[in-house]
Amino acid sequence: MIMSSLTDWHVDVLEYAQKCIYCGYCSLCPTYKELKWETNHPRGILEQIKLYFSEGTKENVKLEVSKTLFEAVFACTMCKACENICLVDIPLIKIWEQVRQESFKKGRWSPSMLSLYNKVKDTQNIFGLPPEERLIWAKLSGLVMTRRVKKKAPLAYFVGCQASYSGKMSEIAPSVVKILRKTKTNFTILGNDEWCCGSPIFLAGGYSVGKSFAKHNLDELKKLGVKRIVTACSGCYRAFKIVYPRVLGESWDFEVLHISELANELIQSGKLKLKKQIKEKVTFKDPCELVRHCGLIEAPRNVINSIPNVRFEELPSNKEEALCCGGGGLLKLNDSDLGNKVNSKLISEIKYSEADIVANGCPTCLDTIQAGVKKEGLDIEVIDIAELILRAMGEKK
Amino acid sequence: MTLKRNVRSRFVRFIGKKLREDRTTLQVYSRDMSDLPSLVSIFFKNIPDGVILASSVEDIQTIYSIANETKTPITQRAAGTAGLGGSVTYNGGLVVDTKGFEQKFFFDPLEQTVTINPSYVFSDLQRELKLQGLSLCSYPSSYHSATIGGWIAHGGHGIGSAQYGGALEQIVELEVVLPTGHLVKYTERDHISLFVGSHGTLGTITEVTLRVKFDIPLKHQGCTFDSPEELVKGLGEIATTFPHSVWFLNPKHVESFNETFGYNLPNRYVAIISKEVSFEEEEMEFNRLFNNAIRNAGGQILDRRYTEDIWKFRFRSLSMLKHCSDYVVSEVILPIESSDKYIRKLISKFKGNIHLEGEFISPTHYALLIYVLSEEKMSSLKKTLLNLKLFKLSLKSKKVKGYPYSTGLWFSGFYGQIYGKDELRRYKEFKKSVDPKNISNPGKVLSPKFRFFPIVSLKFVVKLASRFML
Repeated sequence: MIMSSLTDWHVDVLEYAQKCIYCGYCSLCPTYKELKWETNHPRGILEQIKLYFSEGTKENVKLEVSKTLFEAVFACTMCKACENICLVDIPLIKIWEQVRQESFKKGRWSPSMLSLYNKVKDTQNIFGLPPEERLIWAKLSGLVMTRRVKKKAPLAYFVGCQASYSGKMSEIAPSVVKILRKTKTNFTILGNDEWCCGSPIFLAGGYSVGKSFAKHNLDELKKLGVKRIVTACSGCYRAFKIVYPRVLGESWDFEVLHISELANELIQSGKLKLKKQIKEKVTFKDPCELVRHCGLIEAPRNVINSIPNVRFEELPSNKEEALCCGGGGLLKLNDSDLGNKVNSKLISEIKYSEADIVANGCPTCLDTIQAGVKKEGLDIEVIDIAELILRAMGEKK
Repeated sequence: MTLKRNVRSRFVRFIGKKLREDRTTLQVYSRDMSDLPSLVSIFFKNIPDGVILASSVEDIQTIYSIANETKTPITQRAAGTAGLGGSVTYNGGLVVDTKGFEQKFFFDPLEQTVTINPSYVFSDLQRELKLQGLSLCSYPSSYHSATIGGWIAHGGHGIGSAQYGGALEQIVELEVVLPTGHLVKYTERDHISLFVGSHGTLGTITEVTLRVKFDIPLKHQGCTFDSPEELVKGLGEIATTFPHSVWFLNPKHVESFNETFGYNLPNRYVAIISKEVSFEEEEMEFNRLFNNAIRNAGGQILDRRYTEDIWKFRFRSLSMLKHCSDYVVSEVILPIESSDKYIRKLISKFKGNIHLEGEFISPTHYALLIYVLSEEKMSSLKKTLLNLKLFKLSLKSKKVKGYPYSTGLWFSGFYGQIYGKDELRRYKEFKKSVDPKNISNPGKVLSPKFRFFPIVSLKFVVKLASRFML
């Protein structure tokens, strides 16, 4: 099995920083738009990287630079808007991850970051809850999953930490399971042996622990003869699509699907029929990790447009230009106020669209949009796309 | 920290945490788009003594008040996307970052105007306008990053200027904090024209009312020419079709375009012409005029399937820089009819290894971006010499009645050449009346004294260096 090492994971941050042409296109960064200091501008961060990583930089200078540099990279939502617009193709997200790693090495993580890291390391989930309670969602929704757990099957549903443990996300996993059952899809779940995908760890800059998580999930999935993985979490989706192949190399040979992709496939093949009308006006918020990181654009739209007589309206900023919800990149953990400010821009777009239902494909977006909608006192329902599909199937929750 | 203690304490008392003086912040604010070699520190001190993130008119007034008392130079900065040093300090002092202003957007549907603060980025403003079925009249090619305020301060031309003119033609009202601290609103063209291209030397723009237009779709046509002479003749003919925008590239730049975006455009001068078209008849008329114009000029029409596609890369042309390790840029404005000799000269001076990109700014003139790319990272000396060579060549555009795009720091002292002697006189009088202590962006527009030998001007030293160092 060929696996990457930390060296393969690394990019030459200094070389890339020197490639920056300072065009400033990355000023669309949602957190820079709030903080407004050039030191939080992606090009400003690259300037700091030049100072910090240059050979011969004295330790006292490094220490001084690191204060603003580390603060700036942890104020990033990792939405990838900067990288997508970059005219000279600088892999900014990889660079930010690497600077976060540097911060970890220097012992400069915030206490909340360390706490998350330890929780995930010890309990294999982001909430620090007992691993044996991973199936609590099934119990609470009255679903019996015994025959599905660790069963040999071509498709695995990777539930993810948020859908497994969080009460706010309690509808996601049951919805996915009902879709799969209704379409007679042969699937399995890892149950208590499902470990966090490692996405928060990788985003924080923790490489080796993240890698051990990836390795564990790989082994478990291989044991069950799985060929395809479906998930309703955009964080897990990105981890499987982008991070795992980098970390695990060729051994990670699964086809990874978001629930919207699988649903689209099932609709096309006639196995999934959306027959119930949804009268409310629907919009879709593209999660950054799906649209910009993984290029998933059409599947959710195809699914929504398959709903009979659906009134679907795009948000003003949509697809690759979708606004960030402010919850990504562990920003909620590092600076929740900043996250809320970023979120308020998205909420005003949602308000403008006059939609009754906001569907999306990411538990973090779901959580932050719900909070923003509540704060604004808007009468808008925020649901996961799996729930929307289930409704359109005419199934009860 | 190089601010004097009493100066620092005054600013801290009134501005508080909006002032930063740490080494990292100062370094980050020490440059604009041009990556200047370290050797240019001979000419100016580009590292500021402090940076203030101003967020209101009151902040600007307070800053001017203290700056006047303490004789502290103030250099305004918006997006920092130009390369002429306008937002870089000449001799230290404070950088005032105006991006801190809260976004204000007021749309007047009857007057078809929009009132905004100057920190608005063009693409953000355009998005807001499009929701109302409207559009900006003209905008720079750095549309995704440049701010309205910075654009005005820089001279304000761009895509659409061929049809609607530059910033001056679009500004209905300008709110400015003068260096005296007074907040003034100008609506007269005579006053507004002083601020366009003044780089903040006459005050800080705090609010702008711009004329906007209906969002009319653009139709594009493309053509190619064999030589600079044919190109210039073609541009003259194209101007008679009343285009919205004319964008052209020289063969070397076309080569980079093909490499960057995967095209197979002919290795000739390529021009993309855009026109606002509302009806089918209008489009047919445009096609007819365009075909005649190209036929008269001896050019060839580009397959229309490509032109719409090529237009998509209009704001991504800087992507071509990803294939080089270093570059030097300059920009001049040239009259269409007599510029072919100048283009030839540029090409021969760099043995063909020069990238040119033009955009109409009026029916008679175009802005020409000049890039010299290097496959290797240049040494500080080499880059300084190349900068001086390009500076010298930019000034040579005078021979064909051309002039630098704007003054900034590099071309300070050339205001008269750009705007005329009368405007220079008016500018000087106004400057004297509102900023007698010369605290508002000193070193820009009018040439400052050379730091190390203050008997001569910077303009003289740079000109001398460009003549004898090469």
